Amino acid sequence: MSARKFKPDDTVDFVVVGSGAAGGVMARELSQAGFEVLVLEQGPRFTAADFRHDELAYWFNGELTNKLDTNPQTFRKTAADQAQRVTEFPAAWYAPNVGGSSVHFTANFWRFHEVDFDERSRLGAIPGTTFSDWPITYEELEPYYTKVEWEVGVSGLAGASPFDPWRSKPYPMPPLPVKSSGVLLERGARKMGWHPYPAPMAIASVPYKDRAACAHCGFCIGFGCEMQAKSSTLYTMIPEAEATGRCEVRPLSYVSRIETNAAGRATGVAYFDQDRREHFQKARAVVVCANGAETARLLLLSANAKFPDGLANSSGYVGTNLMFNTYAQINALFEHELNEFKSAQVTRVVHDWYDCDPQRGFYGGGGIDSRIGPMPIAWSLFAPPPGRTWGAGFKSLLEALPRAMIVAGHGTSLPLATNRIDLDPELKDAWGLPALRMTYKDHPDDLAMVRYLQDRGVESMHAAGALEVWKEPVAESTGGPHLLGTARMGNDPRTSVVDKYHRSHDIRNLFVCDGSSFVTSGRGQPTMTIQALAFRAGDHIAQFARRGEI
Amino acid sequence: MDASGTSRRSFLQASGGTLGMAWLAASWPQVVAAAEHAHQRVSDTADRSKLRLLTPAQARDVDAIASQIVPSGATPGAHEAGVVYFIDQVHAGLWQENAAEFVASLTEFQAKCARHHPGVAQFADLSFDDQTAYLKHLEHTPFFGGMRFLTVLGLLALPSYGGNADKLGWKLVGFVDQHAWQPPFGHYDAGYAGFVPYAKVAEQPS
Repeated sequence: MSARKFKPDDTVDFVVVGSGAAGGVMARELSQAGFEVLVLEQGPRFTAADFRHDELAYWFNGELTNKLDTNPQTFRKTAADQAQRVTEFPAAWYAPNVGGSSVHFTANFWRFHEVDFDERSRLGAIPGTTFSDWPITYEELEPYYTKVEWEVGVSGLAGASPFDPWRSKPYPMPPLPVKSSGVLLERGARKMGWHPYPAPMAIASVPYKDRAACAHCGFCIGFGCEMQAKSSTLYTMIPEAEATGRCEVRPLSYVSRIETNAAGRATGVAYFDQDRREHFQKARAVVVCANGAETARLLLLSANAKFPDGLANSSGYVGTNLMFNTYAQINALFEHELNEFKSAQVTRVVHDWYDCDPQRGFYGGGGIDSRIGPMPIAWSLFAPPPGRTWGAGFKSLLEALPRAMIVAGHGTSLPLATNRIDLDPELKDAWGLPALRMTYKDHPDDLAMVRYLQDRGVESMHAAGALEVWKEPVAESTGGPHLLGTARMGNDPRTSVVDKYHRSHDIRNLFVCDGSSFVTSGRGQPTMTIQALAFRAGDHIAQFARRGEI
Repeated sequence: MDASGTSRRSFLQASGGTLGMAWLAASWPQVVAAAEHAHQRVSDTADRSKLRLLTPAQARDVDAIASQIVPSGATPGAHEAGVVYFIDQVHAGLWQENAAEFVASLTEFQAKCARHHPGVAQFADLSFDDQTAYLKHLEHTPFFGGMRFLTVLGLLALPSYGGNADKLGWKLVGFVDQHAWQPPFGHYDAGYAGFVPYAKVAEQPS
């Protein structure tokens, strides 16, 4: 069956805004359940043949990421500051194309643990934060994690980490072959008494569901996969949705607002086509999967007389509680060659600090993983320590690149009401819509935790026999690619935007599912959980639709 | 992008003949497609015979600054990699909207340098050590930061952007652009015995 083409006047069952990690899954689940689904994607549709090994284009010319000239953003640390226009990397950084950021992500794909869903109950309140339990448990999400692993395609070794949550089924593919960085992290971590384990990755380690296995070319982080081995929704969920004959994915369609009627129901969405002509798409229900920044912005942009503060926002929570996950980097040089430019970025992870330990003196949890960060240009620009940024000392570091690796620390971000996405009061985008404004200041515990993890990374590298180890200073966050928490799930309509089935508390036929649904940040690498939520939401939304409960 | 004998042969040469046949059989069509289209993009199409934007005097100073950032020596540096052609071409094309600002800041750099060194025609005419000493005072300026950024890109971006001549930058950092690799990837994973589950670790005598 080939992809559906809807006529302009058609009323579809569902319009899905965004075709990324969540939108792709939603499109497949709803169309396979028998519904007519139109997916509107603001960016273009690439194919595997469009992707190339061009670090300048993707990392320094933003070819795959959101464009600040047409889609500007502003940033400030606190509401007391004047927001400044962002000029280099976007504050809310994502890939606007079919497949969304699942096209250019690194593909780290571990599950959240039980504790991520009920940590507030275990630890108690944290003053000054909106730290809360999720309205669902790990047990409720587990079947959908398994579904992600088998339907989307994840490589890994079940039971390898003694800290992993229980699972109902092993991984469908073995882990990717270990790289030298993984061997060294494993060596150092085991010496320290820790428990490194093979990284679960959304990359095919063997041919899987008509896709080729990874060729180990090394261009994952920030790049599209020319082998289709990376389990992007572009290669997995989207074609399967289209194969139902009930789904159309319409690229270059930029949604500007969701419309509602006098009864307070969503009637469809207005969007601009590539020639900036405005259209209105009628739909029986709207599912917003536009990522943790743009979803909140769209709900706020859709304010009208009936919903003056934006849609689904009677709580005032839309846009608030923005979280990123913290990040810290350790660079290390070894005696022999690692050649970390080859193969997938991450092959070993250590999660011995996943749970919060009050004895550390601050809230938080996380882990470390082995990788080479970006490719040669970014490493050369950003890794050298002060005093070795140019001249002979710099050149010797460039020549040492084959012997280099990094350890990355990944940790928690606490939800704060003051950290948020909203609409810039002055700046407009190229379509005349208010630009995205971000306000963000890390909680001190978030920085303390990731510095703690960074120190463990340093220890692991010394224990592995590194010749040189140096830390990159941990700075306050100014944005990132993990965009979480801005339309959180919850049972109480006063303190959440959607219910446990991702239905907005305020509008019966408006659903929201993506990183914005998160109540807490997890310990990094949110896409696996975004997709598990999307499978679960899709399952429930289809049941509602069948029962006439939308 | 046909899987012709020629492309198969050239691909096998490019991969150093290290690919496992079972893997190749399973993935062959995708590998050929990926290697073919990527090869077209990577091939060095840059013309380094002339400058498009910079004057010869400007290019001399840009080359000299780039050569301070990544000096020549026992191994090639920014000069040999043609970084100046990258900086010239990128401002004449891809990033031409930055060209006026770049040339203005370069001109300001040259004017300041001339005031500091009366009797020396331009920065490039200073001795290498005098150049180093002068740049030490400027290393935290936006101009120098921008030159460092451009030098690294000119050294390591695809040769088609104008720099990285003969892939000298990639050779310097030990990077090989290839579309398929097989383990072992480096020294330390070559002898890896396999992941030992933790229960078994505990059973091993210490």
